[in-house]
Amino acid sequence: MLNLFTDPNLQWILLGSILLGISTGVIGTFAYLRKQSLIGDTLAHAALPGICIAFMLTEVKSVGLFMIGAIVAGMIATVGISWITRFSRIKQDAAMGIVLSVFFGLGIVLLTQIQHSSYGNQSGLDKFLFGQAASMTSKDVYTMTSVAIVLIVVCALLFKEFKLISFDPGYARGLGFSVATLEQLLLWLVTIAVVVGIQAVGVVLVAALLITPAVSARYWTDRLGVMTVLSGLFGALSGAIGTWVSAGTAQLPTGPLSVLTATAVFVGSVLFGPRRGVIAKLLRRSSAKREWAAENAKQAGARVNASAKERGVSA
Amino acid sequence: MVANNSGFAPLTVTNITVAYQKKPVVRNVSFEATEGELIGIIGPNGAGKSTLIKAILGLQPSLSGETLVYGQPYKLQRKLVGYVPQRESVDWDFPTNALDVVMMGRYGRLGLFRRPGAKEKAIGMECLEKVGMADFASRQISQLSGGQQQRVFLARALAQDATLYFMDEPFAGVDAATEKAIIQLLNELKRQGKTVLVVHHDLATVEQYFDSVMLLNGELIAYGPTASTFTEENLQKAYGGRLTFIQSRGSVDEPALIAGRG
Amino acid sequence: MKRRLPSSIKRFIMTLLFLVVPVTAVVSGCGAGSGAFKDEGKLHITTTIGMISDVAKEVGGDRVEVIGLMGPGVDPHLYKASQGDIAKLEDAKIILYGGLHLEGKMTEIFEKMGKKKPVVPVTKNILESSLRETGDGTHDPHVWFNVRLWMSATETIRDTLIENDPAHEAGYRERAEAYLAKLEELDRYAREQIALIPEQGRVMVTAHDAFGYFGDAYDIQVVGLQGISTAAEYGSKDVTALRDMLVERKIKAVFVESSVPKKSIEAVIEGAKKLGHEVKIGGELFSDAMGQDGTPEGTYIGMVRHNVDTIVKALS
Repeated sequence: MLNLFTDPNLQWILLGSILLGISTGVIGTFAYLRKQSLIGDTLAHAALPGICIAFMLTEVKSVGLFMIGAIVAGMIATVGISWITRFSRIKQDAAMGIVLSVFFGLGIVLLTQIQHSSYGNQSGLDKFLFGQAASMTSKDVYTMTSVAIVLIVVCALLFKEFKLISFDPGYARGLGFSVATLEQLLLWLVTIAVVVGIQAVGVVLVAALLITPAVSARYWTDRLGVMTVLSGLFGALSGAIGTWVSAGTAQLPTGPLSVLTATAVFVGSVLFGPRRGVIAKLLRRSSAKREWAAENAKQAGARVNASAKERGVSA
Repeated sequence: MVANNSGFAPLTVTNITVAYQKKPVVRNVSFEATEGELIGIIGPNGAGKSTLIKAILGLQPSLSGETLVYGQPYKLQRKLVGYVPQRESVDWDFPTNALDVVMMGRYGRLGLFRRPGAKEKAIGMECLEKVGMADFASRQISQLSGGQQQRVFLARALAQDATLYFMDEPFAGVDAATEKAIIQLLNELKRQGKTVLVVHHDLATVEQYFDSVMLLNGELIAYGPTASTFTEENLQKAYGGRLTFIQSRGSVDEPALIAGRG
Repeated sequence: MKRRLPSSIKRFIMTLLFLVVPVTAVVSGCGAGSGAFKDEGKLHITTTIGMISDVAKEVGGDRVEVIGLMGPGVDPHLYKASQGDIAKLEDAKIILYGGLHLEGKMTEIFEKMGKKKPVVPVTKNILESSLRETGDGTHDPHVWFNVRLWMSATETIRDTLIENDPAHEAGYRERAEAYLAKLEELDRYAREQIALIPEQGRVMVTAHDAFGYFGDAYDIQVVGLQGISTAAEYGSKDVTALRDMLVERKIKAVFVESSVPKKSIEAVIEGAKKLGHEVKIGGELFSDAMGQDGTPEGTYIGMVRHNVDTIVKALS
């Protein structure tokens, strides 16, 4: 397994998966705390029409172009979600559902159009949606590195702003922060992470990469800074282990394995988290019971002694 | 910080109207606050008290109205205004501790990009001291009781070092000790020359706590010094006859809500 | 303040909406079906992949009008029929398809159509012994790469046309005869050309395992990254294994396909380069679909010639 570090393809896949895990882990923390966990799923589905339109306009099948199309579509989708929640009575979850279905429906119509016309060479459009971590090259690693750097830098610079608008957006507005702009920026960062993630694990699974590491991290700390870092770490770990396992056996797709690893980390966190974990709670409960029983016994003993003293007898 | 030697009132509100779905909830409310006073805003449920405050602070869109703080539009004077919202407005399971929340009060002065440092931490601890929560500085906020959470919110507003404060039901659901601590703090603020507007629900304590009082029920029923404004007549107007006055030892006609929804 | 609509009017509008949607759906479902074909005098045939359309046109000549559902660059394994396609299938007198699970997502439709008209898999007369087996009990459907097997398909098409239009039997036989002769020549050409590649370098590497029959028929080893169907997924082990093979056997070129994305092959090539072995893309091969209409590669014979020439040029 040492060849994981020397084999060029495996190196790229490993680095790419790790960088992706860091990106989605870090930005996923904020999405989770703002109760926008399923935004990843929404954006991934919303990307489809963007990809189709990019292809229809340029008739070129290039990953870079697809990503631009997907990002633009994703950004439009986030603006759409914000508008719907702001200017109607519809809540966040319904707004996301609406945007997801409308965009994805449009995308399928466009995709079928492309399939049925003679653009030639139109396969690969829906492959883009299924993701293929195994075919990462050095170009992909550069892309993932830039995305990871941008995300980390922005989150570090605007850490207190993101913390504030996630905790108490009303108060933030009162302080004079432009909450709408910050929220939109956050969503756009999520969009970028999602579009890059689609290439590795596909549309359906990228939501998992956003949510699972963040939720796992919550079980280990009560401090936002630590949680964000931990979430990035868990994401990176999932990517690394996913790559490692799929490198050993044929016909095991790398992306889905990373997601499975993230889930395993989550299960471990739920069980073993120091304060909120199931086992910790059980231990606390049983030790509390024991203490209570001991306390009771002591008091009972004290009462016996006291009454014995009253009667001038020894207990 | 802009000092008030210009003679302007700390807060001048003109004709605020707020509507939810075309139904006006706050109608043409205008008033001017006097500096250095504790002002109570009272009225029945659904009277629009919280809505009024949110509209003044720009957190709720309004159909009309203008807010001046010390003679300048509110938007230019944000640094002078502190806000303590209702406790339910926040998810208390957020990963942060009490000190962290209090330091958020300084974010407005830090501006974009700058990180809170030792100075902000010191101010935060000082404010926690003032509300008696210094020992709880590193406590996770989900582990705080209702009264403690309220005090953290208060400390956060103090950290803003504002001159005009708005508080939305700060005494709701807190124990007697916390209530006492809060009113002591408010009086301290008053002594410093600051002005505090408080949405309040307990009619029994109005006379004791507030210098001026505003009676609100969609419209402004009455506004003025407590002694002359907090009268049975005005209260009946505000509460629409759902009040019954009972005699009590000492003060005359202490009002209480006996029957009906209030 | 605007007055709200009285509730009776609101109810009327709602009912209307609830009726409009299903009625539109039903009407659009029924209405489609006329006008897919243009010439009423000819025999209407709807086919799936271009290779079948081409043969049907050659054998049918003036007597038939052929519509193919899947154009150039389309992947038949993943193709889903649209509403317009159903119309074209409804309107046809005869439906010809590949069979052997090539059109993986259309089985149900063929079954349904089969109840009303002849729906013929053109591979049906190929002996089972000539078919390649895949691991899981099914057969490799890419039979057209063995020209001899496609000659059997031509005969099947000819017989189907004769069965359904016996009046013009003579014409069909004549045209089929001529076409089969051309296919015979094509088969010989392929064999000769491939033999020109030195034995050691006679390996063609592609993105998916479509060329099995080609390899068997013309004596060239075929290695694919993905399995038989593009619906399968590959992992990092498959990528590294293929790359290692390229490096070990010093294979000069790999090939991309029109209907499969290049990304997977690119990763293999870059990896090989890192390990010091330069592999280039030998060219684009047509696998599940032919080239653009109107070009020589847009016909079956043209497509096979193109593949052979590309392979020979790159590997010699």
